[in-house]
Amino acid sequence: MRRRLAAIVLVLGCLLPLSVVVRAEADPSVSFQEVEESLTCQCGCGLTVHSCNHLQCPSALPLRAEIREQMATGKNKEAILAYFGEKYGEKILSSPTTEGFNLLAWTIPFVLFGIGAMFVIVTARHWVRRRIVPPPPAAPAAPVRTAYDTVLDKELKDFDS
Amino acid sequence: MTDVGSMALAIGWVMALYAVVMSLIGAWTRKRDFVASAEHAALAVWGVVVVAVAALLHALVTHDFNIAYVAEYSSSTLPLYYTVAALWGGQAGSLLFWLLILTSMSAVVLLQNSGRNRELMPYVTATLMLISLFFLSMVNFITPPFERLAFTPPEGRDLNPLLQNYWMTIHPPSLYTGFVGCSVPFAFAMAALATGRLDDIWIRTTRRWTLLAWFFLSLGNLFGAEWAYLVLGWGGYWAWDPVENAAFMPWLTCTAFLHSVMIQEKKNMMKIWNMVLIILTFLLTIFGTFLTRSGVISSVHSFTQSGLGPFFLSFLGLMAVISFALMIWRLPLLKSENELDSLLSRETAFLMNNLVFVGIAFATFWGTIFPVISEAVRGVKITVGPPFFNTVNAPLGLLLLFLTGVGPVIAWRRASWGSLRRNILIPFSIGILGGLALFAGGMRHFYALLSFSLCIFVSSTIVMEFYRGVRARQVMMGEAPHVALVRLIAKNRRRYGGYIVHVGIVMMFLAFTGTSAFKQERQITVNPGDSFEIGGYTLKYDGIETKDTPHIAYLLATVGVFQDGELVETLHPEKRFYKKPEQPTTEVAIRSTLGGDLYLVLGGFDQDTKMATIQAYVNPLVSFLWYGGLVLALGTFVTILPQRAPAPAPAYASGSRERVATE
Repeated sequence: MRRRLAAIVLVLGCLLPLSVVVRAEADPSVSFQEVEESLTCQCGCGLTVHSCNHLQCPSALPLRAEIREQMATGKNKEAILAYFGEKYGEKILSSPTTEGFNLLAWTIPFVLFGIGAMFVIVTARHWVRRRIVPPPPAAPAAPVRTAYDTVLDKELKDFDS
Repeated sequence: MTDVGSMALAIGWVMALYAVVMSLIGAWTRKRDFVASAEHAALAVWGVVVVAVAALLHALVTHDFNIAYVAEYSSSTLPLYYTVAALWGGQAGSLLFWLLILTSMSAVVLLQNSGRNRELMPYVTATLMLISLFFLSMVNFITPPFERLAFTPPEGRDLNPLLQNYWMTIHPPSLYTGFVGCSVPFAFAMAALATGRLDDIWIRTTRRWTLLAWFFLSLGNLFGAEWAYLVLGWGGYWAWDPVENAAFMPWLTCTAFLHSVMIQEKKNMMKIWNMVLIILTFLLTIFGTFLTRSGVISSVHSFTQSGLGPFFLSFLGLMAVISFALMIWRLPLLKSENELDSLLSRETAFLMNNLVFVGIAFATFWGTIFPVISEAVRGVKITVGPPFFNTVNAPLGLLLLFLTGVGPVIAWRRASWGSLRRNILIPFSIGILGGLALFAGGMRHFYALLSFSLCIFVSSTIVMEFYRGVRARQVMMGEAPHVALVRLIAKNRRRYGGYIVHVGIVMMFLAFTGTSAFKQERQITVNPGDSFEIGGYTLKYDGIETKDTPHIAYLLATVGVFQDGELVETLHPEKRFYKKPEQPTTEVAIRSTLGGDLYLVLGGFDQDTKMATIQAYVNPLVSFLWYGGLVLALGTFVTILPQRAPAPAPAYASGSRERVATE
């Protein structure tokens, strides 16, 4: 029972951060900086649109203008990101989407961590039990009987009778 | 001189190959002469690599632009300091520099062990020389540093301006030393597997090497963060860039290893796991180098992309196959009689700590390679950036911080709930009270509240550990508190040095939390004389001036920093325009206090109107990251110092069932 409880707590613990992810993705409110941080600059700097500070950056500057345009239409963050994803491809998003194959990116680390935690707990319990349960005392070795013993028994029996 | 360098590298290649072959033959045939000859060859490899490095340095300093490397990465106007640093500024030079560190460490290992560990040494030599052979193959056949041009250009193309920074001169050497340092425990692990001597000799022999490697990996990561903070000018220090991740992953597994080996030393357990950890750590150092060199994933830190990727990948595969094959072969010997007295023990806390370290390493690895997987499976390029890594790693990092607090107060072998409660109640209460105080003070950021509370909790456990130790010495020895403190640390450097390292880590968590939860930023275009406000500062833009030198043209903005109406500092964020190669760079201006940095970037400007775009950031608590690094260095120094008297066999010697930890 205890073990089951521990497993449930563990799984819930692992799912908690995931729920944060999902909730964060579903948040309808949006700020300019949030959208900037959700998009990757395509100038090769490897930073988000928000972080790229290249002078006259050929990617970040037009993208910022486009974010403003999209925000002006009243779209929520998801819709704006969907627009950019569709127009420029998924690589423009600074993190994988939470659907389809990309869901693996988000779930695998937590799933494996959960499995690892279960393994550690089960292994540790096994090691504790191994320590607590002393090995059964070795049974006294049964005397090995040889053909000679059989003959001797028979002779003794005959002698007694 | 350069011909001497080329010749030296060619000789080095032959000698390294000879050392590998003779070590193995010597070990298999038990011929000491062969082993000695191999060791001499390995020392000779170090000698010839030193000659090659000296030759390249000579070419750089004398501006021999006929050599392609010198022409590519230096110029006659480059200051001497950076001319020397150009040794590791390019592909071939950095591989040569790597070799220098590797063969130097190999030479020290050989000299250290000339009279001990003789059974292990042939395999240690063979492993270290096999790694050297790979790098020697690179610099001999793939990317030779002494390659000559068909003509001599009048001037070199100069070092990448982004690399012309103090931190970039010490970041790569630190990181390389950390990476290469991991080769030493790995080589001993391979020797232990090959010989079947799988007790803790290899771990004890390499403890200081592992600490040293870990120390330099820590510094390398921190120096890289400082460089990014000062040079890239985006207001942050860590962007979860693939190359940053590549340096971070071996640090994680190496830290897990440092904790896990304590269990093997104390209880002869976890032999397989420790092998796995050190193999992973070594492979991750090569993987990191592969990422940096191959260009398979784009990075802001990668300055040396080339076609070396397949070679590194092949070497990575070869070493993985050899090491795991050896491990599988020795599994029957590695399987120890693992036993735990209780689930509530320091050992279990360490198991969980290892799980979290490896969990973070895996999550980072997964996020780093997921774009490649996505492209291979779906044919779609995607980006895995900071939002992913922060979301996945932040909860794990906080769990790790919690364990950092719990670990020291749980006894080895067996703790009772009562003792745990006694040890943890006060620090835990202080942590909770700290969190409540922050909440009452208006803090509402969930992760920040959790992180700060945990930082307070962990600090309290450490302070209490010191307090208990000092009190015990005061009572038993009648020492004054400061004497008791010094002697307490001196008598058990490993344990208390470890606690000091933990203090450094807590300080870093303060910085991570402050900068991620409470960072403020503002971008504004201003006329001379205009003011604007951010984070309690009033900033007054006074204008822009230019400066020209043969090497660089400067644009310097002048910004007065006011607090409560008083001028506290004048900052000069810059744009530099390097003339060779033509490239603009950002030089940020920082007002640094313990509470946080005011960080200014000159984003844009108009020559005619003198208008400037200023990006201003307030990064709370960021100084704790750098000071935390200093404390970490101090703790490692304390830990690494040799202990004069051998430590008494601690936890399991007596009949006492409960004993507060010694490590």
